[in-house]
Amino acid sequence: MSLVSSETTDHRASRSAPAPADSFEATFRAAHRRRLRRAAGWRIALNIAGLVLFVIAWELIPRYSTWINEVLFPPPSQVFATFVPLLLSGQILDDIRVSLVRAASGFGVALGLGIGAGVLTARLAWLQYLLEPLLHGFRSIPAIALIPLCILWFGIGEVSKTALIAWGAFFPLWITTFIGVRDVNPIYLRSAACLGAGRLTTLFLVVLPAALPFILTGIRQALSVSLVVLVAAEMSGASSGIAHMMSEGHQLFRVDIMFIGLAVLGAVGFLVDRAFVAIARRLFPWYQITS
Amino acid sequence: MSADAALIAAERVSQVYAGRDGTPNWALRDVSLRIGRGEFVCLIGPSGCGKTTLLHLIAGFVRPTSGTVSFAGAPITGPGPERVVVFQDYALFAWMTARQNVEFGLRTRGVPRAERRRQALRALERVGLPHAADRYPHELSGGMRQRVAVARALVVEPEVLLMDEPFAAVDAMTRQTLQEDLLRLWQETGVSVVFVTHNVDEAAFLAQRVVVMGAHPGTLRTDLAIDAPHPRERGSARFAELYAEIAGALAGHHGRRAA
Repeated sequence: MSLVSSETTDHRASRSAPAPADSFEATFRAAHRRRLRRAAGWRIALNIAGLVLFVIAWELIPRYSTWINEVLFPPPSQVFATFVPLLLSGQILDDIRVSLVRAASGFGVALGLGIGAGVLTARLAWLQYLLEPLLHGFRSIPAIALIPLCILWFGIGEVSKTALIAWGAFFPLWITTFIGVRDVNPIYLRSAACLGAGRLTTLFLVVLPAALPFILTGIRQALSVSLVVLVAAEMSGASSGIAHMMSEGHQLFRVDIMFIGLAVLGAVGFLVDRAFVAIARRLFPWYQITS
Repeated sequence: MSADAALIAAERVSQVYAGRDGTPNWALRDVSLRIGRGEFVCLIGPSGCGKTTLLHLIAGFVRPTSGTVSFAGAPITGPGPERVVVFQDYALFAWMTARQNVEFGLRTRGVPRAERRRQALRALERVGLPHAADRYPHELSGGMRQRVAVARALVVEPEVLLMDEPFAAVDAMTRQTLQEDLLRLWQETGVSVVFVTHNVDEAAFLAQRVVVMGAHPGTLRTDLAIDAPHPRERGSARFAELYAEIAGALAGHHGRRAA
């Protein structure tokens, strides 16, 4: 509809030819801006409508169907009623904070080690050949399979959680960095060498930026792995955190508490991913992340 | 030119690559070539004649299988800023603006930031792109990218510019402007230019000397001195003669063998 209306104004402007070019360009620009704004608004409206429809369906179906037990599948109003006191007492924010600190510390360790290992194995063939059987072997072990061992070794404290998350997040970072660094366009390396760049300059100004699209993919994957391992680790032995709250809800037969945990995890995962995209856009304006 | 004046000297250079099944593949066979200081030399030939291999040998990206390539009397052991390559395309660092790309060669030698910026902007002015300093390569047209690449190479004040079909990926009109600008920069700076091309018109327009190569194995066929002064008029009878001479040598009618 917006297209049609702007076209008709354009026709009118071009027919009454004496109108100065400036005013035509101004109206064209305004129409273009309006079109973009309308498209963006339409998208956001549909995003919100999707959420609202979901909540409505979730509220109505347990109430009016005979085959759903409300205790096992509480509607959003009930979940929300449980959520408000938890939020006001600050308990849930504490749990979120504890969980985020765990995920961040494990991810941080993996970030350093994974990128470091990726760069070294891609640049030094002998190191690659020395480590590849080990790394690929260990990579096939899911982090979750290590939880019992980790608890035996490090107890149920923060160390075992950080170690598990770091383990899980390390491999996607290592693999993507390795591929990115290995496949850097040789023309970049040759240009750098021609212009007199040494090893370190080449690494930081050429190799790492050139591998960045791959490394960013690895970071994104590692972020979601971190959350998965976090939940598994907290469920199998912890005294705080979101997943611990959920397993308490499980023991108390409180599905509403478990739902709160799920919603929080979903929201945190979503926000972390959005934050990642925003930060990447800010830091690397030349690299376009579309979604 | 006399032997001791040569800036670049290739002596009986052969370059053999292993094919996929291990068969030796002669990219260059027994090639000798001398290039003097300040010369503008075009290497021209069909694909597979080893012209790019020869350029890469001079750049120091690869070592010859046999023979020697030397620069200013010393054997070449690796790439260096006295011999900068301008590639066909996609050699600008995509994560740096035009100015940062030009600054790169200064950064590697520790030039302070303000001085770097000043020199980079001056280099961009010389290639006619002062307004594009803060744009990224993907925001520039193919011709503009190649101008930035030339500015990036010239800012480190190389003794020779090694150009590997640098204008092959731009449209014909832009290419002519780029060629004219390159000639101007060559005359202003006195840099030597070794220019690989497969385009007869380009060689006839630019070169003081055209080295015609043959393929399988890569060899030097003819070494033509072009004594026409710059700038050359593309419509002129003299230009048509030059064109015919180079095209004839390429086709193999020309009997004169390289020294």
